[in-house]
Amino acid sequence: MTVDDPAHNISQSIPRLEGRQKVTGRAEYVHHLRLPGMLYGKIFRSTVPHGRILSVDVSEAAAVPGVFRVVTIDDIREVLPDPYYGPAFHDQPVLADGKVRFAGEPVAVVLAKDPRVAAQAVALITAEYDELPSVDNEVEAMTSDIHVHDELKPAASFPDLNHLKGQSGTNVALGYKLRHGDVEAGFAAADHIFEHTLTTQPVMHTPMEPFVSVADVRDDHMTLHTASQGPSFVRIEIARLLGWPENRVRVKVPFLGGGFGGKLYIKLEALVTALSLLVRQPVKIALSMEEQFFMVTRHPCTFNIKSGVTKDGKIIARACEVIWNGGAYADIGPRVTQKAGFTAAGPYDIDNVSIDSYAVYTNRPPAGALRGFGAPQIAWAYECHTDMIAREMGIDQVDFRRKNLLRNGRPQASGTLIRDAALDAVLDRAAERLGWSLPFDPGGGRIKRGRGLAVAIKGITAPTTSVAIVNLYGDGSCGLYIGTVDMGQGSDTVMAQIAAEVLNLDASKIRVMHTDTDVTPYDMGTLGSRSTFHMGTAVRLAAEEARDKIEALRVELDEPAGSNIPLSELLRRKYGMQAGNIIGTGSFIPEYEKPDPDTGQSRAATPFWGVGAAGAEVEVDTETGQFEVTRLISVVDVGTAINPKLVEAQISGAAIMQLGFTTTEEMLFQDGQLLNGSLADYKIPNMLDVPRDFRNEFVESRQQDGPFGAKGAGEISTMALSPAVGNAVADAIGTYLLDMPITPEAVYRALHPADGDA
Amino acid sequence: MKNFDLEEPESLAEALALLDEDDSAVRPIGGGTALMLMMKAQFFEPTRLVSLRKVGGALGGIDLSEDGSSLRVGAGTTFTQLQQSPLVQKHLPVIGRVMKTLANVRVRNVATVGGNLAHGDPHLDLPPVWMALDAAVDVVGPSGERRLAVADLFQGYYETSLADGEVITALYAPLVEDRRAAYAKVTTRASHDWPALGVAVSLVPDGDVIADIRIVLGAALDMPTRLTAAENVLRGQPAGDDLLATAGETAAEEVDIESDHRGSAGYKNHLLKIYLGRVVRELMGR
Amino acid sequence: MSGPRDITFTLNGRPAAATVKPGETLVDVLTNQFDLTGARESCAQGLCGCCTVLVDGDAVSGCLYMAWFADGAEINTIEGLADGNTLHPIQEAFLEAGAFQCGFCTPGFILMTKKLLEAHPDPDDDVIRHFLVGNLCRCAAYPEIVAAVKLAARRLRDAG
Repeated sequence: MTVDDPAHNISQSIPRLEGRQKVTGRAEYVHHLRLPGMLYGKIFRSTVPHGRILSVDVSEAAAVPGVFRVVTIDDIREVLPDPYYGPAFHDQPVLADGKVRFAGEPVAVVLAKDPRVAAQAVALITAEYDELPSVDNEVEAMTSDIHVHDELKPAASFPDLNHLKGQSGTNVALGYKLRHGDVEAGFAAADHIFEHTLTTQPVMHTPMEPFVSVADVRDDHMTLHTASQGPSFVRIEIARLLGWPENRVRVKVPFLGGGFGGKLYIKLEALVTALSLLVRQPVKIALSMEEQFFMVTRHPCTFNIKSGVTKDGKIIARACEVIWNGGAYADIGPRVTQKAGFTAAGPYDIDNVSIDSYAVYTNRPPAGALRGFGAPQIAWAYECHTDMIAREMGIDQVDFRRKNLLRNGRPQASGTLIRDAALDAVLDRAAERLGWSLPFDPGGGRIKRGRGLAVAIKGITAPTTSVAIVNLYGDGSCGLYIGTVDMGQGSDTVMAQIAAEVLNLDASKIRVMHTDTDVTPYDMGTLGSRSTFHMGTAVRLAAEEARDKIEALRVELDEPAGSNIPLSELLRRKYGMQAGNIIGTGSFIPEYEKPDPDTGQSRAATPFWGVGAAGAEVEVDTETGQFEVTRLISVVDVGTAINPKLVEAQISGAAIMQLGFTTTEEMLFQDGQLLNGSLADYKIPNMLDVPRDFRNEFVESRQQDGPFGAKGAGEISTMALSPAVGNAVADAIGTYLLDMPITPEAVYRALHPADGDA
Repeated sequence: MKNFDLEEPESLAEALALLDEDDSAVRPIGGGTALMLMMKAQFFEPTRLVSLRKVGGALGGIDLSEDGSSLRVGAGTTFTQLQQSPLVQKHLPVIGRVMKTLANVRVRNVATVGGNLAHGDPHLDLPPVWMALDAAVDVVGPSGERRLAVADLFQGYYETSLADGEVITALYAPLVEDRRAAYAKVTTRASHDWPALGVAVSLVPDGDVIADIRIVLGAALDMPTRLTAAENVLRGQPAGDDLLATAGETAAEEVDIESDHRGSAGYKNHLLKIYLGRVVRELMGR
Repeated sequence: MSGPRDITFTLNGRPAAATVKPGETLVDVLTNQFDLTGARESCAQGLCGCCTVLVDGDAVSGCLYMAWFADGAEINTIEGLADGNTLHPIQEAFLEAGAFQCGFCTPGFILMTKKLLEAHPDPDDDVIRHFLVGNLCRCAAYPEIVAAVKLAARRLRDAG
């Protein structure tokens, strides 16, 4: 490398920096971590969905040879006087405290040197409960007399939730409102009114590396090794729980075996911290695949949507009421409620909009973020609804969407302007790839065919901060210090490409440090398609600062501008030997204006717009309802593809995942009990589930303020996919299904409504 | 996992001596896939496992009987061996087709024909197929040797007529001239899943007429179950659409399918009717 | 006697010995006693393939394979696949095709691909999909994995 040889790192499909480690099985995961003296914790869980704990008998378990200690909330209180945590509400106890709020909630932990011994002992614990009636469904929970929490406990970290503090007698954790124009006047002026209620089901992230955390408390400081997407938040929250300064808590994250939004905020970290503090030894808790179903899920929701449309096909009013089933603990549900809430009217230019979005507690496992922060759930509703309107009015579905689509420069319902959002382009590309304007064979006889599409938009979590450090060493080689966690999305590679482009280096030679909060600076979290835009910008700024410092050094050493003397030589001259560093830092927080609490209005509600479209074709066996998605096209606006192959892999992977959420995945509950909590009964997509004709494409709108024009893309293809499939099924069978997932039985019943029992 | 002993006898006699007719915590183990699952979940805590994998000859091999009237499959035969056997491919091609969607390569590498039957799991694909083929098993135990039809092996949900201390040694599938067989694995969620129901049919055609037929329903009930009333509707008749519809109705009526998370009772009854018709049509070349 | 027992086997071509507790799985023994991290338990039910190990040349689910059964066997894991620093052609193909994201399932897919290509040197999509259906990748790098299998097949055939 010389400075004469300008780097070309952007828009290059550079192979993953960590690829070799992964194909040899040597990549580091917390899953494998063992520390000297480490104890394993196994969790005893509630068998009832709602109840007061009368007694927990751990005596038999404690007597098992090899058991070190059995811990309940009473023990936890010895080290954490107020053992409640959570990102939005401090509502989740480290272990059940007097009450259990979902079947599967952790009640006690057995610690042993041998995890098999711990598991054996857990089976000997018994608990007695005074069972309470439970509430399962989000709509019922809105008005139910059964209250999951006696009192709401918003976290101080969100000032906009403070007014909820101390409120009782409700399951509504948060209500979000948006008002734009006058929706009632709009309905009055409309020629047609359409109203539907659609629902989505509970699903789960199922990362292949189940949740795992190790805490190691030594004297006055502690180290957490955890499979987390948000190490900075973990440090802040653990420090708060302990009443320690942040610099006594160290959080280290190697690679993650998948995250998808599940491994965010606090999960096992509070529990292992308390345990390690109690026994003064390292403690590891690694969940089994089955236990993951009790950790965090994706919010089911019920969405009432009503639109007023003029006779020439212009949507002039839309009212949305979205109720989110948050489960027993709020986790990040209130954010999902707000962030998904504000785009609940979809990517359309509608003069009169009202949105009410509610996070409610129920006696189910907690729900959190899952690849889309609620956007896929609401898109299911508004894009099936939009399709139904077009079909009923006899307008081509693509034309209807085009007529109503938001365009750059127009205000979205929140008042924030649409910019750098390629809504037209993604819709047009999906329609083109689907051959929308060409004749379509609808099949005949037993097999009917259908096609459908959808387009969707999302706002990005805001305001959030990323900080990066670029460190050039004495020999000119470069280390990048960031808190972005590479959980498979390829962030190490992309961040290296951005730094390399600025510094004229070869991206594959840059070393990206894995998060260690003692070393790497703050990042809000690897979530919500934010890293490329936020951290990417921070990395760019850090690299630019380093570049400026190198230039300054050149000047200091009387080198002419544009000289090609390498940095190593400059440093050698300055320090007389191979020594020194050039350190650049970058910090980025996008512009943000807090939405008005009564109207949701804001000039800057989101740093950029996530935009995607999908097209699908299906074949339905009308005798059985069994169907096959024969063709699936996802198109995502990526701004600029820093690494085309990696971003395409994100579009593809998210699409297949969402196809699972659309057709095969559903956590089934009966009387508050999960029926199918294992991969034998909860079916995630396998290789045979990938449609034969499966395409993933991006369009480049160029995000003006993104690094080299890039924006985030990790979850965007999850949004339009389900309604595209649903609309294709409707096209085939003539009936829209309103509830996810789309199953053969649901299709069959739609085809044969008169068939009674059969 | 609690302590237990593993014995690996090298002869059947030795294995039988190590098994205990009075102790259900002493179990024979073949490939061990199912047993390991139960042991890890603490559903089954053995005191002694008697591995059959070193017994060899008595439990191995796939052979044609001298008169060519039946195929003997040693109980220790793995599914992969079964799938790759030229004799099975030639005489029982249905088995190869079933294997394509049965579990996965790793399971097929260790799961054995005998263990699969002895497990008594109603969701499995192969037992209903063996029943449709009218297969029988040899069982050896403390009270000697007996042969029973696979149909008589199943007594209920994970229940078999094997006594403690008994071991399945071999399976015999009669080979019938002109017989055809097929199995429909009907899944209702993912394509690769446990079946909501499995429909196994063997029949002997005589022109357009179904000369003989056996129908077995798997997965939808607490054990694989022969649908004799539906068989009686079809036996000796030409396989016309009306008759197949009647047979389907009869099949749904003669069993009591319950709802579960793979489908409501009504839907599964409907699938039974449809797939029975499809399998028979396929076998009759229609 | 019903406690631990000693077993010996060949591990990636070298003699190995272990003391194994009753019911201990092969993947536990490889991880805890040999520090091999390539085979890893995920679903714990033999459904996902993350724990794939080759025993006497056959792929098995290490999470359901009783380690006692490994006595006298030839065990091969992902760690033994590369020749020193030279990756196996299948590993190279996975790298080139970008056939993984988080990497947790990758060793299992690579070992299964090895078995797949031994049995089917020139597999089509249908053969690949059915052979690998028992390996789950939640990141869903499936299209890239199919491409990697085909690339590896071509390279191995060309190499004769």
